[in-house]
Amino acid sequence: MVMADSRVVEVNKLSKSFDGHVVLNGITLNVTRAENLVVFGQSGTGKSVLLKCIIGLMIPDNGKIFINGQDISLLKINELNRIRKNIGFLFQGAALYDSMSVHDNLAFPLKRHFPERSNEEIENKIKHTLELVSLEDAINKMPSELSGGMKKRIGLARSIITDPELMLYDEPTTGLDPITSKEISVLILNLQKKLNMTSIVVTHDLICAEIIADRAIFLREANIAFEGNIEKLINSNDPFLKNFFSHEVISQENK
Amino acid sequence: MHLPRIRYGRRLSYSDYIYNFFATLSGLTVFNIEFFKQAFKPPFEVAEIRKHMDELGVKTFGIVSITGFIIGLVLAMQSQPVMVRFGAGDSLPGMVSLSVVRELGPVITALIFAGRVSSGIGAELGSMRVTEQIDAMEVSAINPFKYLVVTRVIATTMILPILAIYAIIIAILGGYIAIVITEPMSFEYYRTAVVKSIAFGDFIPGVAKTFVFGYIVGLVGSYKGYTAEGGTEGVGRASTTSVVLSSLLILIFDMILVKITLWLWPTLG
Repeated sequence: MVMADSRVVEVNKLSKSFDGHVVLNGITLNVTRAENLVVFGQSGTGKSVLLKCIIGLMIPDNGKIFINGQDISLLKINELNRIRKNIGFLFQGAALYDSMSVHDNLAFPLKRHFPERSNEEIENKIKHTLELVSLEDAINKMPSELSGGMKKRIGLARSIITDPELMLYDEPTTGLDPITSKEISVLILNLQKKLNMTSIVVTHDLICAEIIADRAIFLREANIAFEGNIEKLINSNDPFLKNFFSHEVISQENK
Repeated sequence: MHLPRIRYGRRLSYSDYIYNFFATLSGLTVFNIEFFKQAFKPPFEVAEIRKHMDELGVKTFGIVSITGFIIGLVLAMQSQPVMVRFGAGDSLPGMVSLSVVRELGPVITALIFAGRVSSGIGAELGSMRVTEQIDAMEVSAINPFKYLVVTRVIATTMILPILAIYAIIIAILGGYIAIVITEPMSFEYYRTAVVKSIAFGDFIPGVAKTFVFGYIVGLVGSYKGYTAEGGTEGVGRASTTSVVLSSLLILIFDMILVKITLWLWPTLG
């Protein structure tokens, strides 16, 4: 049984709709400390909306979200920001600040959250974080000079530079070639182990999920349709899951 | 801060247009209130304000110089025959300088500034919005409104009066060149005539209103960019509507401010 105090994220009966279209309908889930939860689902099933509700970028229509036991809907912006300092968020497109170099992208949250740190400490931290994502050489580059995979790595470096306790990944491997996507997945796993972070990963990428996931959920028709470990999901006899995880339907059509 | 969503689409009904009008009005009001709430709270992001003043202001100097010069030149060229016909050729320096100081300098500079800067801010913030950079700032517990909007609005409010004063000087010089092409006039005579015709009371309201125009340019550009949606189409829309709306508001506020000025200082009329 999961101890209540080990729960980092608790989502309770969360609902969200847009212009009458229900995207999430009474979702309930818990994520425990140092766990990697993977969220699967087809496009438009509310995976990213779930992450954005957890971080407070979107306000749920109904339901509660607790982070480390605190109901985020009751918090004022300053209190919410205090919680956000402990959360990293990797956006699908990395969302690097175009007008800043890689160095400044990384220094930006660091200087604001840790004003007491000396320049030397900040520079060391930036260097060390870039080493973690193996991109020390990109320090002076602008985001426009980086490839898709490099952007994701720098986005990841910027998210972890403040040593967050919880990481939220919105499709970390989408749009990358299979090798880079495996590298990013392994990197996420290594970082999680090294920094003992809790992670929620929204993805379509089965290989990424196999590498990262401790547990997975599958969102379908605004609800959690399946929950369990990744092997259970892949080997499920449910026709929908089979369709999602295998090439069966495609190969049948091709015959 | 809750901003009403604007309805976009290819087939909007009249009720949608009416809704959008009031949504923009209320959105701008909310944005305006938020600016004053945030502007006086630390951190003040002085380095960022200075950077924007440099980027938005200094780079507009070239276009403002050309515009200012042409306004003064054309105004003097157009007015000269008429003034001479009515036997008021000597009043030409005074007429040019008064027109430029009171109205043309500030308003034309503000309109050029709106075209150059408001569209730039709209496009930049719009692109940051659609690529989730503003969201990234928000989830990093950094106030994007303070960092992106407040700094830009302060920068535009501070830089436009400087540009307007500069444009006025250039326009008056342009006026001199137009006069001197057709008839001999010493610069000293022109300068004395200009200084004599402009009272302090002419100069202050003309320049003071450029603070309001600068504020409008920054606020409208930021509002349109900050609320952009719909990918690259949304960025383009933010950029275009920023120019249209800020230019329109500049002219409307010019009318209001001229009325207020004349009401407060009736001798100026």
